[in-house]
Amino acid sequence: MSNSKIPLVDTDIHERVQYQEILEYLDEPFKHYIQNCHWMQEKHMPYTQPSVAGVDRADAVVPDGSPAGSDLAFMQEQLLDDIGHEFGILTSALDPSPSSMHGWHEMATALATAYNDWQIENWLEKDERLYGSVHIAAQDRDGAIKEIERVGSHPKMVQILLPIDDIMWGDPYYHPIFEAAEKHHLMIGMHHNEPPVYYGKWPRYFIEWHTLISTAHMKQVTNLIFNGVFDKFPNLGLMMIEGGYTWIPHLMWKMDQQYRDLRHEVPWLKRKPSDIFKNQIRVTTQPAEELTKKEFMSLIDQMGTDEILCFSTDYPHWDYDSPTRALPNLDPELKNKIYSENAKAFYPKLPNE
Amino acid sequence: MREQVVCKTTDLKPGDMKSSYFGKQNVLICRTLDGEFYAFLNQCTHQGAPLDKGMICGATTHTSTPGDYHYCRKGEIIRCPWHGREFDIKDDGRMLANPTKKLPSFKVRTEHDDVIIYK
Ligand code: FES
Repeated sequence: MSNSKIPLVDTDIHERVQYQEILEYLDEPFKHYIQNCHWMQEKHMPYTQPSVAGVDRADAVVPDGSPAGSDLAFMQEQLLDDIGHEFGILTSALDPSPSSMHGWHEMATALATAYNDWQIENWLEKDERLYGSVHIAAQDRDGAIKEIERVGSHPKMVQILLPIDDIMWGDPYYHPIFEAAEKHHLMIGMHHNEPPVYYGKWPRYFIEWHTLISTAHMKQVTNLIFNGVFDKFPNLGLMMIEGGYTWIPHLMWKMDQQYRDLRHEVPWLKRKPSDIFKNQIRVTTQPAEELTKKEFMSLIDQMGTDEILCFSTDYPHWDYDSPTRALPNLDPELKNKIYSENAKAFYPKLPNE
Repeated sequence: MREQVVCKTTDLKPGDMKSSYFGKQNVLICRTLDGEFYAFLNQCTHQGAPLDKGMICGATTHTSTPGDYHYCRKGEIIRCPWHGREFDIKDDGRMLANPTKKLPSFKVRTEHDDVIIYK
């Protein structure tokens, strides 16, 4: 791995905060609720991730025993230096995930602010390769906009993170968030947290849920496109993170066919959905479905562009993709696009000489 | 390299594994619960993860029926530290979900308290 020559832009790296670390960035009374009342954000998944070490790569636990992703020096050694990353985009461990909270929006908003400050100080300002995501509590829309105004202009914040759970973010109520994103040259990064993919509930087995995460991604893309977000905000871009990529041609064809018949209902759409997708939506590769080179090239052909896919490792999670092993061996020009150029062209704040 | 001592028998308790070197090759030495030693290349056939960072465990077997788990083969299965693929130590390192794939293996014998890989 260490001899890899790929100038990699890794579009999904999960840094992890521990609740005690965030305390110094948190105002009262919220600090008290964590410190003395032992508050933790609710989680809903009924299963463990049935791999060797739960959600993490078993070899990514920090040598001192702290959780995977919680230590910059170890991340540098195991990932950034070893692979030779040019840039990495931090997307957090979604724990906490302020926009996923089902109540207590004051706590969610305070957490988002504390998380952003922690992330800037401990990661973005400590390694020049790392770029970050603005955390917000989107349910408190106006509080979220204040937070975007507060940290959105930080030179290393490249996107606003929205979780994929049970809120469809294309609803016009959330459009002011997209307006604020556009104003600060931030893209939207969407990553699933715990979407209930079985008709609002959990399937019996983790393997079913994990197989169907891509359907939750498809729902958000469909929702944002038909709610007119991309025509209303032409400079906005959406990065769909960690849903794999083989669903893309299916959804393009399906949306285009529906649009030809039912445009009447969504007159604000000025372009074919697949054209919107090609221009404003990007998709990270991990967890990469294992395709042969022939299958992979045929899929790119079906997408009609080789500019959608952006490589991601998902470090330090169990379903990590190795930059040298996860995708078939591609021709240099395409490889360069997927591993680097597509992400650089997408994020306006990522250096792109 | 015809043969080489890769560790001591006392280095591994039954049910443990460790990495070592056979020449330049990074190898995985496993000891099953019956005390036997086995050796494989210490690299997952999938995306190359270091297998010694995974675990030796048992497996939910194919005799399980829907809703009824059968777990056995304790100490005979290597699970990869990344995506969790399972390799059967006593079946030449074959992968449980796809037995046509297997970990490259090495011949092993013990002499006194030496564990030796040989060709
Ligand atoms: S690298 Fe071992 S299961 Fe993927």
